[in-house]
Amino acid sequence: MTPTQRFNSTRELKTALGQQQYIASDEIATIMYLSQELGKPLLTEGPAGVGKTELAKAIAGATKRELIRLQCYEGLDETKALYEWEYAKQLLYTQLLRDKLQETLSAAENLSAAADRLAQEEDVFFSMRFLLQRPLLKAILSEHPTVLLIDEIDRADAEFEAFLLEVLSDFQVSVPELGTLAAVHRPLVILTSNNTRELSEALKRRCLYLFIDYPSLEQEMAVVRLKVPELSPKMARQAVELVQSLRSMDLRKSPSISETLDWAKALVALNSKVLDSVTLETTLSVLLKHESDLQRARRWLQRPASGPSLSEGADPHSPRWRN
Amino acid sequence: MEERIVKFIAALRAAGVRISLAESTDAFRAVDSLGVKDRELFRVSLLSTLVKDASGRPIFEELFPIFFGSSEMPPMLNITEDLTLEEAEMIAQGLRKVNETLRKLVEKLMNGDPLTPDELERLARMVGLNQADDLRYREWMTQRMKKALHFKEVQEALQELANTLAELGMDRERIEQMQKLLQANQSALEDQLRQFAGQRIAENMGERPPEEGLDNLFNRPFNSLSDRDMERLRKEVQRLAAALKTRIALRQKRAKNGQLDAKATIRANIKHGSVPIELRHREHTQKPKLVVICDVSTSMRFCSELMLSLLYALQDQISKTSSFAFIDHLEYISPDFERKSSGEAVAQVLDRIPTGYYNTDLGNSLNDFSKNYLDKIDSRTTLLLVGDGRNNYNNPRLDLFRTIARRSRRAIWLTPEPAIMWGSGDSDMLKYAPDCDTILQASNLAELTTAVDKLLLG
Repeated sequence: MTPTQRFNSTRELKTALGQQQYIASDEIATIMYLSQELGKPLLTEGPAGVGKTELAKAIAGATKRELIRLQCYEGLDETKALYEWEYAKQLLYTQLLRDKLQETLSAAENLSAAADRLAQEEDVFFSMRFLLQRPLLKAILSEHPTVLLIDEIDRADAEFEAFLLEVLSDFQVSVPELGTLAAVHRPLVILTSNNTRELSEALKRRCLYLFIDYPSLEQEMAVVRLKVPELSPKMARQAVELVQSLRSMDLRKSPSISETLDWAKALVALNSKVLDSVTLETTLSVLLKHESDLQRARRWLQRPASGPSLSEGADPHSPRWRN
Repeated sequence: MEERIVKFIAALRAAGVRISLAESTDAFRAVDSLGVKDRELFRVSLLSTLVKDASGRPIFEELFPIFFGSSEMPPMLNITEDLTLEEAEMIAQGLRKVNETLRKLVEKLMNGDPLTPDELERLARMVGLNQADDLRYREWMTQRMKKALHFKEVQEALQELANTLAELGMDRERIEQMQKLLQANQSALEDQLRQFAGQRIAENMGERPPEEGLDNLFNRPFNSLSDRDMERLRKEVQRLAAALKTRIALRQKRAKNGQLDAKATIRANIKHGSVPIELRHREHTQKPKLVVICDVSTSMRFCSELMLSLLYALQDQISKTSSFAFIDHLEYISPDFERKSSGEAVAQVLDRIPTGYYNTDLGNSLNDFSKNYLDKIDSRTTLLLVGDGRNNYNNPRLDLFRTIARRSRRAIWLTPEPAIMWGSGDSDMLKYAPDCDTILQASNLAELTTAVDKLLLG
């Protein structure tokens, strides 16, 4: 395996991310670099689909580390995130090894000697062989440095968050039967949150914080040009401008970057040359996923071009993002 | 530099950003590794280590330039440098005409000297800058310092000087050029004052003694709280709701009664040779559902804001909460709480339901509820009514209340009035009381805490 990479400056990191087809702003590159330097987890927050998960993938690619992903959901607990004993396998082994056990124990003179002997063999059944490694433990015990992505932490319960604290600050896990397992290499940890609930102060304290918002017109243009190079620059600009103006409307779900990309791909697939009303009519559902949003956008698009009066229906004061 | 960062952190704290000791250590480590040369890198390293909330960001952006602003302000230009001997003579002559008190500043502007720390200090004392500890006063303080320096008179004096120079026969173009430079110097001086005012105020903020303890606030009645207290209480309520949530979750975890859990049973019975002696059950969590109807009428206004904040916090914690507010009719307010900060959401609700004049009508509101939202109540729902039961002698519609209360798992009434006031005047509290499972009285935060805890118990 090629040696993993370490960056010496934010500029270097930014170019490396660029090679992974991820366009990072200076802020993202700087914070990412700090996270590497300080060995601290990085907590990224922002609306859905602005590339939080993508950042983790890109950094894994750029550093040539393996990406281990833990998707959080309500009810996620230690057995699914950390480790579990493989009971079925243990049972099977005891059944199959019964004869051998008999043999070992039959030589014993009395009960306590037999018990002692059995105790000596105990380690066989509580060894790494029977330990089912879940993402967190895998990241800690991995031979090679890894990138650990804890995705959508806000979906997990508050208890799970508390449990994460030990792992994130010390990078070690205690398994009662085996003792404390410490990290071979400190993984690069990235947590993402869609902010559906407030995270605890304790967790935030242990992390660096990065807020990723919707990109500016130029940034989004760059992303579209990079990922969908088949689309003509003129079309790309028109499309991005439309998406940006849709975002300023009061929609139930604003289109994200990934949806812009899907749309751009759809436009390429349909071989559209101009962004006319027919094309829009047929492809708008790629961008907007709620019927009411679609209707609203159509109404706005069908109006004669009497200047950019987007503000109608859109409330500029209502923040799309809550914290 | 370190001292500057420490002061910056103190000011951030004073402005309401929560920063722990560990985080400030991180900030120093980050600055160590990235250095302070590149201002943008420096800003990002402080930002990512200190501010962990999108709401803290504007505060950071406001304070950062004050503390680490480009302290090398637009350089003041020395006008006297490239003057011909003749011109210098003329200016000296012109200056002689200028009032004694103003001459110093005019000369300063001519020579392009910024104010010295001593002078700034004197000004600060003069306008009372050392007592200001709110950034809102910044512009005002700047104006006052400008006044103390006689900016306006200086302006006039400069105009006069230009006139004199013209009379003395100086080149017109040359005078205009000089005036422009003087103008630039003046605005640079103004920037210096503004910068200084901001810094001083921010430093004062950092040194402000910490606020009084929360205990006092806990036991103060709702109607004697100031806006600032409210803000702090709202935060406290949020914290409280989170703590309560954890407590419920634990309770539910320990109460295990539900479906058979085959996996866990096998595991538990390994010790019995896989003979299922001990049965294990899946956790049967009955997630609470809550329907809250909140009175926001005039008689309740003093505490309804806090109650609404509590609702907001609960909504965040208990996913199946439906909130309603009423005065004369019912409004479904859960959507208002989505994707908004607590303060905004509460303000929006109170905005949408303006108070009228003696128009509280719970009867009508209950009617609305049973017509449109009765399906929100089932055998798992806890009904919480927040109000004082003062109905302005309208029909209380006890029949409707009884139906709704019976349908629900529990009906709880939360009132700010002590029991002794019930039934007095237009209060229908005593009539509603028999149909409630529990009536909780809360007139300060301590009581509210106990009340909410009881509420979530079942």
